[in-house]
Amino acid sequence: MTKLAIAINKERCVGCHTCANACKMQNNVPMGMLWNRILTEGVDTMDGAVGEYPNLTRTYLPVQCQHCENAACLKVCPTGATYKDEKGRVEIDYDKCIGCRMCMAACPFNARVFNWDEPVRDPDVNYGDARVPVRNKGVMEKCTLCKERTDSGDVPMCVRVCPARARTFGDLDDPESDISKLARERAVDVHHLLEEKGTRPQLFYIG
Amino acid sequence: MNFSNLKNLSTGYKVAFAVLAVLVLAGAGAYVWQFMGGLGVTGMSNGTSWGLYIACFMFFVGLSAGGLIVASSASIFHVKEYKKVALPAILVSLVCICIAGAFVLIDLGGIVRLLNLFASPNFMSPLLWDICVITTYLVINLVYLYFMTSKKPGAQDKVAVVSRFALPVAILVHSVTAWIFGLQIARAGWYSTIMAPLFVASAMDSGLALLLLGLLWMNRAKVFATSKKLIANLAGLLAVCIAVDGYMVGCEILTMAYPGTEHGMEELAALFTGVTAPFFWTEVIVGVIIPFCILVFAKNRRRMGLVALASAGVVVGVFCKRVWLLFTSFLYPNVAGAPGLITGSSSSHGAAGMDAWAVTSSYAPTLPELMIVVGMFALGVLAFLVLTKLFLSYDPAPALADDVAAGLAPADAAPTVGGAPAAAGCAPSVPAGKTTPAPAK
Repeated sequence: MTKLAIAINKERCVGCHTCANACKMQNNVPMGMLWNRILTEGVDTMDGAVGEYPNLTRTYLPVQCQHCENAACLKVCPTGATYKDEKGRVEIDYDKCIGCRMCMAACPFNARVFNWDEPVRDPDVNYGDARVPVRNKGVMEKCTLCKERTDSGDVPMCVRVCPARARTFGDLDDPESDISKLARERAVDVHHLLEEKGTRPQLFYIG
Repeated sequence: MNFSNLKNLSTGYKVAFAVLAVLVLAGAGAYVWQFMGGLGVTGMSNGTSWGLYIACFMFFVGLSAGGLIVASSASIFHVKEYKKVALPAILVSLVCICIAGAFVLIDLGGIVRLLNLFASPNFMSPLLWDICVITTYLVINLVYLYFMTSKKPGAQDKVAVVSRFALPVAILVHSVTAWIFGLQIARAGWYSTIMAPLFVASAMDSGLALLLLGLLWMNRAKVFATSKKLIANLAGLLAVCIAVDGYMVGCEILTMAYPGTEHGMEELAALFTGVTAPFFWTEVIVGVIIPFCILVFAKNRRRMGLVALASAGVVVGVFCKRVWLLFTSFLYPNVAGAPGLITGSSSSHGAAGMDAWAVTSSYAPTLPELMIVVGMFALGVLAFLVLTKLFLSYDPAPALADDVAAGLAPADAAPTVGGAPAAAGCAPSVPAGKTTPAPAK
């Protein structure tokens, strides 16, 4: 079996949003939508700090689809538009999606974004990878783990562009993959987002 | 069915039909607007991904309960009294379930791809269960209505058979609607075992209250006569349902509050003093405390004005409950942090820069959204008016005789002749002449 995933090292993340922007460009994500968001933790303004001077900390948390093993979104989809593919990715069949947004209510991570309107792009061209299908209004979308790139042996764009090398991509079922090695080496520092919800995210964080 | 009843309508009816028709058309226009532009014309966002439509869906599913539950318990539990209002009860139920179903369709962003529900159904989805069970419920309502108004011999026995299916399906329709929310571990305010029983309780009290309002109006407008005795009886049942509903809300709130978890406390703060507080307190005060305090006294249940007031309070209260139940769980994303969600609030639609983000989600319905909702309410009222004209007839004699017997009406009020002529075969009550006793002297 194949179980593709990304490991995000929070100790290395500098909050530059390069991954979010690269994702938007690669996947032709319209205005008002992102598949990958960078949150500043514990504050209500971007790049804020936690604590009182001089004891301040600032940490970043990149959030995208966690490609859960026990995905809540997948169960609730009435048409089966959301599915788990053979490589362990949670994907959406855009032609099947009826826009009921049940998956959006079910996802604990708010990883999904909906085409509320006719998609608007700035500049007004399809700037994404030509292999990425264009989505219409009334359809759900989210991180595909760069399906088109990973199918052809490349790493996802967010992993490719990260200037701090905070991201590691690979197959969790292959013990020799970089991501599996990382999970072993840093086992004590590995944690999953909202573990208590029991959705068993495949993506994991270090730090 | 009696189509001739729709001719020679009174001026009041004509005006009502005209006003309602205008509202329905305005709603239809707003829907076309939404269909063309997408759900972006509503106030829904990536944070609050379900809005007024889904709140109304829950509300109308609930409203349709009272009718079918009263009608079917007449047969199952042999509550003969309730048989008299079984027909108007079914009409209320039928209209409400159609409106509820329509709200689900209105809420779909990709209704053009609707047939995928049949082409590739996922039977794990509570939404699919709900579609199945609502369809079944609708069919049962129609079958029920058919047998109830049928003149064929043996039709009444079939009513009893259908009842045995109707009651469990009615319970299920509310439970499944609750499970759309109650099975979602992602939302702290929804994920609760009590959600299904709570929805059944809310359905019973709001449905009964709506039925009572309908019956009281029909008495007044001389569309269909119900005895005060029966209304007082139903009002007593309503008082019990209100108490059960209030009790369950209390259980849920306590269970949420006691552990004092961060997320639970955030949601409770929103509920008690925050954005959803007006809806929560309206439900508690107007929907539970006041109507219960009115109806718990038998004396008050015989005063039709008070029954109407309490019923209206319950209907409003349950609507408010749908609102707080739905929206409180959308306020705070589980994974918190700045800048939060993109297009996460009503106000962040199409906004530029940081305005496109929301740390906590807020929601306000837009004009087209409100127009559609008002249009659907109007359609419901319109359908109900037409159906009552078609299926019901006014015959006050048996009702009055009941009240005289129960001492709720002066003895000399009972008519000696069999009241208004019953429309052939359609009167749900027993033929007038048969049961009208001579007034007690």
